[in-house]
This record gives sequence, structure tokens and C-alpha cells, in this order.
Amino acid sequence: MKSQEFDALLMRALKRQNKADEASVERVLARLSGPVPRQQLPFWRLPAVLLDWQFAPAWPRVAALGACAVIGFAIGLSGVDRRIDRTDTAVITSGGIGSIVFEPEPLTGAQP
Amino acid sequence: MDDSDEALMGRVARGDERAYRNLVQRHLPAMLGLARRILGNAAEAEDVAQEAMLRVWTHAPRWQPLAAFRTWLTRVTVNLCLDRKRRAPWVELEAAGEIVDPAPGAGEQAESDERERAVTTAIQQLPDRQRAAIVLTYSEGMSNAQAAEILGTSVSALETLLVRGKQNLRRALRDLIGEEEP
Repeated sequence: MKSQEFDALLMRALKRQNKADEASVERVLARLSGPVPRQQLPFWRLPAVLLDWQFAPAWPRVAALGACAVIGFAIGLSGVDRRIDRTDTAVITSGGIGSIVFEPEPLTGAQP
Repeated sequence: MDDSDEALMGRVARGDERAYRNLVQRHLPAMLGLARRILGNAAEAEDVAQEAMLRVWTHAPRWQPLAAFRTWLTRVTVNLCLDRKRRAPWVELEAAGEIVDPAPGAGEQAESDERERAVTTAIQQLPDRQRAAIVLTYSEGMSNAQAAEILGTSVSALETLLVRGKQNLRRALRDLIGEEEP
């Protein structure tokens, strides 16, 4: 069989399957007629969701805000801003208050 | 009002359910037929078409109009079919029996032409991607470039799939088309 004849046979055979089955379409339409699921929001829309000042129903926004607050407290308590060699000591200030009060003037040498 | 697929999809992205129903009505029969030709099973094709249509709704806010909506939806449907084929356990064709078609009178219609039925049976036995390439090209009438885009491959790779698919079909149908075994 020539290539063109074979291609034509393929097309005829597949075209036979092409005929839409009404009952099948109706079944799927019936299954899709219920309530639609939640849509997937892209990440770049999340800030807009947080800034959208609508208060009802706002549980996702409240949860996001609460999560941000908890993360902020955790970072503050963990002391990630302290130097690594001083993490085991509680340091209020590195210099005594006296160094500020009794330091001589650098130019005149005058004592306060 | 602009009633193109892309315009409707834009409205679906903003949560317009009526636009979604409109798109479903417009594209469901074609996607159902495509899934049926790739999967060879009416019940599975219905599941795949339903899943594809649900993805239109759930993925609409993320959808970017980089390609035509129809091309995107066809790609979703083909990928769902290939995933399903990959997951499903292999069943010998003899054990599986005839493909059940729930449409009234469809069985009689299929029996009326043994030759074409044998071709469709042979197509069902092809490897998944070869079958998808043949269906997209010969049934959907797509160009090689369009079919390659949907299958996520290059045009040359698609041409290879088509050549191998047709070789396999000729081998399977050699009694029918009167060809000698090489």
C-alpha cells in the first residue's frame, strides 16, 4: 500500500472515532455542573490579597498576619542580630557609663 | 463583547463562572473525542476531559496568553492522557476485550467496517507518544509544529515519532494492507 493510501486509511479510521458522543458529553457536563473548586492564585497576587481591606470573610488574611507576627517575635527572641562570639553572654553595653561622662576633651584635654 | 477563547479566559481568571461554562460548552466535545482516541476507553476519556476542564477554572489566574487557548487546552488534555496511560497497569488487548462504547448503535457502526476497526485497534497498541502524535496529526489535522508544541518536543522529534508510529502500524496491519514481512 502506498504512503498516501495508508495516510488516508489512518484518517478515515480516526475520523470514525471523531463523532461526538452526545451521552458522554452530557455525562461530563453533569459532573461539571456542581460548585467550582477554588482557583489557584499566582504568587504575585498574594500582596494584593493582604492589602485588600475587606473584613469578611478574612480568615486567610488574619492567619497570614498572625504568622508574620509570630515569625517577627521568633526572630527578635532568637537574637540573630547579636555577634556570634557573644551569644552566650548577656551584654548591656560594651563601655561603662563613666567613659562617656569622664572622658577628657580630645583637643583641650579638659576634664568635665 | 469579545467572545474569543482568550477573552473568555481572561474573565474566567477574574472568577467569572458564566464565562467558564461557556468555554466548557465550546471545547468539551473536542477534548472528549481527543482523549478517547488517545486512551481508547470512553470512561477514562470522560475522567480526563473532566479533569482538563476543571484545570481551565483552577489554573485560569495563572494562565498566560503565550499560546492560543485551544493549543494550551489540547496540551493539558494530551498530558493528562499520557499520565494516565503511564500510571495504568498494562492490560493485554485480548484480555481487555472490545472497547466499550456506551453510545447506542456505536457497536454496530464499528462492526460495519472491519478494516478501519483493525486500524483503530492497531493505533491503540502503539506506544503512548507515538499514538498521541498520530492522533494529533491525522485526526486533529494539526501541523507538525503545532503537534510538536503540544507534546513539548521538537518538530524533528515529532517526525521521528510519526515515522516510527507508522512503521509499527504497517507491521501490525501487514495482513490487512497486503505487505510482506521485511
